[in-house]
Amino acid sequence: MIENRPWLTFASHATLLLGIGLVALPVWMALVASTHPASAFGVGHIPLWFGDAGAETWGTVLFEEAGNGVDTPVWFMMLNSLIMALGITFGKIVISLLSAYAIVFFRFPCRNLCFWIIFMTLMLPVEVRIVPTYEVVANLDLLNSYTGLTLPLIASATATFLFRQCFLSIPGELVEAARIDGAGPWRFFFDILLPLSRTNIAALFVILFIYGWNQYLWPLLITTDDAYYTLVMSIKRMLSVTDGDIAWNQIMATTLLAMLPPVAVVIGMQKLFVKGLVDSEK
Amino acid sequence: MTDVILEKVGKTYPNGYQAIPSVDLSIEEGEFIVLVGPSGCGKSTLLRMVAGLESISTGELRIRGERMNEKEPAERDIAMVFQNYALYPHMSVYDNMAYGLKNRGIAKNLIEEKVSDVAKMLGLTELLQRKPRQLSGGQRQRVAMGRAMVRDPKVFLFDEPLSNLDAKLRVQMRVEIRQLQRKLGTTTLYVTHDQVEAMTLADRLVVLNKGKAEQIGTPMDLYNKPATPFVAAFIGSPSMNLIDATLTEQGVKISEALTLPLSHQHRGDIVWGIRPEHLEVSDEQNGDFALRIQAVESLGAETLIHGKIETESANGESMVVRLSGPHLPDVNSLMWLTAPMSHWHLFDAKTQQRL
Ligand SMILES: Nc1ncnc2c1ncn2[C@@H]1O[C@H](COP(=O)(O)OP(=O)(O)O)[C@@H](O)[C@H]1O
Ligand SMILES: [Mg+2]
Repeated sequence: MIENRPWLTFASHATLLLGIGLVALPVWMALVASTHPASAFGVGHIPLWFGDAGAETWGTVLFEEAGNGVDTPVWFMMLNSLIMALGITFGKIVISLLSAYAIVFFRFPCRNLCFWIIFMTLMLPVEVRIVPTYEVVANLDLLNSYTGLTLPLIASATATFLFRQCFLSIPGELVEAARIDGAGPWRFFFDILLPLSRTNIAALFVILFIYGWNQYLWPLLITTDDAYYTLVMSIKRMLSVTDGDIAWNQIMATTLLAMLPPVAVVIGMQKLFVKGLVDSEK
Repeated sequence: MTDVILEKVGKTYPNGYQAIPSVDLSIEEGEFIVLVGPSGCGKSTLLRMVAGLESISTGELRIRGERMNEKEPAERDIAMVFQNYALYPHMSVYDNMAYGLKNRGIAKNLIEEKVSDVAKMLGLTELLQRKPRQLSGGQRQRVAMGRAMVRDPKVFLFDEPLSNLDAKLRVQMRVEIRQLQRKLGTTTLYVTHDQVEAMTLADRLVVLNKGKAEQIGTPMDLYNKPATPFVAAFIGSPSMNLIDATLTEQGVKISEALTLPLSHQHRGDIVWGIRPEHLEVSDEQNGDFALRIQAVESLGAETLIHGKIETESANGESMVVRLSGPHLPDVNSLMWLTAPMSHWHLFDAKTQQRL
């Protein structure tokens, strides 16, 4: 579509700029706030330009302690978050790749039933089954462990469904050609199926990483040990200090740090992500 | 030496549909066999049973004397070329051709040697590093053939490999496939619905109709002596004129007014046939019957004339005449024709067998 209407260009750019402004303003304010001393917030106005306490706040938060009652440094919580997010992401991808593979390419009794049972778990996210899941995890002695943080969140109907659609779109002739070429089930999976679903895996990785990173309720419930605190849940804990003033500058710095990994993943995988959602090589 | 034997091979699909009742066929080593028939007649089913992609319901398949029914496709030593080529989209041309060899654990330098030999033969050497999507339809077709050839199999299987190409390329590839097959001497089973392709490629043809082999023979056998009206109509273009008639003492009675004299001991309903190219233009004294011309198709080298046999009653039988060279008779005019008896084909109307 080639159109040359100046006012349209102007209007669309203005809309986009306004949108960017709306999204970016809170981030900007958080960034600015993190560079002022904690006392700057009690006085009733919100600063809009950088202060001079930036280096000190960020240094403390990142390497010493996040403050407000959380005495682990942010880098350590980030590591926990990263382990949890990556564990959930890879776990989900591997499990759903395998289950979609079984459902699409193998004939076994109750195949459709299996699919529908998997599909029905869509109706049972962690929040719904949180009490029984907690009990199971507690009985297995998995409280305060990385396994406990990731395992209950790994089963994924959405990803299974996505891979099922992706596999179904692979032409039957291709599967047959591989059979004639002597590719057994594993060879077929690794040589043909995985490369063909590469972009889908990438797209899913982005979505699932953000999902995993932003987990709040579950880690809050099953970790009581500082060693397993994740970043996102700690922010909430920082807000609920009972005595004394809240050190907003530290909270803002922590929040910004919590945003960085998802942003990095999205930017890093943008190309593959869009490709995975839009087109396929088949 | 007999290479491939199909003994009473039949296929009933799990849904109960019997695609192939029973087919017997023995293929000599190096022979080029074409399975031909209209769409849905079971050609692919038969081919896929030979490939091992479809289980054999009844009967036995033997390749070089060995029973194959229970063998996996990869163990049958066959190679197949698919209609949509089925190239692995994420692999280069080289990897596409090498994949089957890699899976068999053949040494890397040997694979390299084989692939480059075949690539040279097919003119693919420059394209080896490309991905399939960077190739034209004809080139993809070649890669698919190359993938089959590097395996050096006992049997080549082709399932309508040319139907996605444009007409010109189709003719070119047809010739090329035939030359390659001659050169390699590999037994070949080739499926097509196009009778021209079938006639030009085949050492022997198998005409399939609703899963039954109507006739098996050389292209000229089938052209000169079709066993059934189905084969008669299927082989040859434009197809044979087939007219319901009755055989009486006087001869072939086509209508109340028209009987072509013939002495034959058979009596009763028959199908009388003559190919469009065997009808000859004549005049009122010597002609066997007159044709009321309805349409003329001039192709330069030949002319097809469509018409109806002129009778007292309005609805005469339709006929096509094929004349060489340009002719321009008027539509609606009469044209007298003779039908030389040596070119007649007679079939029993009930048994559909050649008389
Ligand atoms: N998997 C299947 N299940 C049931 N019927 C099938 C199946 N595959 C093919 N058929 C039927 O078998 C008949 C022959 O099919 P096919 O061999 O593909 O014909 P073609 O001669 O066109 O290649 C068709 O009527 C088709 O509908
Ligand atoms: Mg077919």
